[in-house]
Amino acid sequence: MDKNLASRPKVKVAFWITESTLAYLLLLPAIAVLIAFMLYPIVYVFLTSLYKTNRIGNLVKFIETDNFKTLFSRREFWEVTIRSVIWTVLAVSAKTLVGLTIALLLNVDFKGRKLARTLVILPWASSVPISAMLWQWTYNYDFGLLNYTLKITGLWKHPPHWLGYPLSAFFANLYVDIWIGIPFMALVFLAGLQSVPPNLYEAAEADGASLWQKFYHITLPLLKPVLLIATLLSCLWTFNDFNVIYILTKGGPVNSTDILITFIYKYAFSFLKFGPAAAMAVVAFAILLILSLLYAWFYFKSERY
Amino acid sequence: MKKIGLIAMTLSLIPLLFGTPVGAKKEVSFFLALYDGLRPEYYQDLNRAFNEANPDIDLKVIPVDWNKLHDKLVVAIAGGRPPDLSVIGTRWLLEFLDIGVVEPIEKHLSKELIDNIEPGAMEARINNVLYALPVAAGPRFLYYRSDIFKKHGIAGPPDTFEEMLTYAQKINNPPNFYGVGMSGKKYVELTEFAYYLLGNDGYFFEINPDGSYGKCRVNDEAGVGALTFMNDLVNKYKVTQSGVTAYTRDEVQDLFVSGKLGIILIGAYTDVILKQRGVTFKWDYGLIPRFAGKDRHPLMITDSIMMFEASKNKEAAAKFLEFFYQDEWRLGFDKQVGFPPVLKSVGKMPYFQAPIYKVMVNSMSGAKGWPLIPQWAECNDIIWDAIGATFLGQKTPKEALDEAAARIDEIREE
Repeated sequence: MDKNLASRPKVKVAFWITESTLAYLLLLPAIAVLIAFMLYPIVYVFLTSLYKTNRIGNLVKFIETDNFKTLFSRREFWEVTIRSVIWTVLAVSAKTLVGLTIALLLNVDFKGRKLARTLVILPWASSVPISAMLWQWTYNYDFGLLNYTLKITGLWKHPPHWLGYPLSAFFANLYVDIWIGIPFMALVFLAGLQSVPPNLYEAAEADGASLWQKFYHITLPLLKPVLLIATLLSCLWTFNDFNVIYILTKGGPVNSTDILITFIYKYAFSFLKFGPAAAMAVVAFAILLILSLLYAWFYFKSERY
Repeated sequence: MKKIGLIAMTLSLIPLLFGTPVGAKKEVSFFLALYDGLRPEYYQDLNRAFNEANPDIDLKVIPVDWNKLHDKLVVAIAGGRPPDLSVIGTRWLLEFLDIGVVEPIEKHLSKELIDNIEPGAMEARINNVLYALPVAAGPRFLYYRSDIFKKHGIAGPPDTFEEMLTYAQKINNPPNFYGVGMSGKKYVELTEFAYYLLGNDGYFFEINPDGSYGKCRVNDEAGVGALTFMNDLVNKYKVTQSGVTAYTRDEVQDLFVSGKLGIILIGAYTDVILKQRGVTFKWDYGLIPRFAGKDRHPLMITDSIMMFEASKNKEAAAKFLEFFYQDEWRLGFDKQVGFPPVLKSVGKMPYFQAPIYKVMVNSMSGAKGWPLIPQWAECNDIIWDAIGATFLGQKTPKEALDEAAARIDEIREE
């Protein structure tokens, strides 16, 4: 058989006809788009962070790390960075806990489960800016639905100006971010739960395991990969959540709800200071890269065991 | 045959890759700021009428919210795709000149148009070069509830801020009705603070003998006095709505329209808004007060239409300006936005002989505008933070303004 194959005359075919070469050729447009719209901007931002720029972001003079030095010497940069971390930790923790709880509930067969699943998706299905605008009106002190409901039900006779004070504005923003992010977590966890073999629970029940024991020893370990991926993605998205804060408070009052991403926007597009803005973007990139690497290390370590 | 057809079809699509074909319309894009009171029908009709009268030009009027316009323009400029024309706050002109994107507009326009513009509105004429065409000149007024004033035996609008406080205390009835509105939420303009600052004979910068701006002086006696008074209205006398840092000036205007405020300091255009929204209460207007013993220096805000240097169809854009600045379209615009006309011919029309417009014109005497410096957007932001920190009790007015002035002087030296 091999001899027959070897003796056959080699047929010349066009280079795009072999499978692997064709695959690469077909990937080229996607690669070009990735380079143009992802790699090039990232490289340009890194470059910009090392340059003095003019008011429209053109590179003027190489100043090494001066942008970073200026940034690190400003108290407000550290305040905003720490606030971004707190914002991410609180939001992702809440989204994970609530999302997991909802997923566990939706995993149980009950009447109306399909409707419940549809309702859970709604916040995520709406556009984020639209949702944020709706909440902006809901939080309105004089005309908003929240305060109106609190007053007429007697639950809170004098509710606060939710967006008018630093602490309440921060938690008001946080709530909206959590509200929007819960559906994604719930759906991902639900998909993960449905891949857990039911016979494991049956065997555990036969052994007399309690609900908590089943959750701790079966559900959690098997859900771990999904948990890791979902929380990592949530961290990346939450850290860079521009829409909610920009629409609700624009970082106010008095910059008390500014996180790194809204601060970067302000520096770049309100103050036209692209150099420091790029430096902040590099810092944000570094934080998220370290986080991703930590996650990856933890994920692959647990895979080995 | 099939192959020939396919090749022919492909070849016929190639010209589309090389841009617009010969004989295509000249495209002109115009960012129009959304003034309160300006109805969509107005600019849709303007767009349609111009295109019908000029079949070789494709005008696109793009409405943009005022609070987003500056950022939108910066993004467009940085992306290399600015519009041909845009309404701008004239205070942004220096910034755009510094970037190098402004086309001096006078050479594209007819002498008749230029001569028909009120000289007082030509804020965009710098070193004898007209860079942008005035589109709106906005005096500011004090509006008040004349029915409530009458009920409390108050004769007319206050002349001084001290009188305003007295009247506000008389009519204040929280939580349903407040004496005077105050905005403390950051906005694209610093009007709230400017009323009190200019009314206290203060200004943002020292003026050098050659007319240029010196050091920031918001933290001098006039500035600190102004902010202290504002803070006292909010936190000491409590005659304003609560939670002022949650309210932009548009939201304070909404409170007045909904009947919850007795006094508001706002643009003169509010007359049009109140009529459009069909308010049933009685209201009246007066000049922005001053502090006792000080001269009156009201705030004058002008907006302009700027042409971008990158515009590929400057003559077509200029043709639109000639069209827009015809009496018919300017009358409609000025009536809806509620500002006095910038055109002499429109100013003579019967509509603008109404008392309110006479008061508007008289109020411009002694008026001061925003500083024309490239870093004004950042200065605006810094001063707003100082005001917010004061209202929230985080800093005293002196501390907040000292920090703001130092920071502003620092960025101007960068």
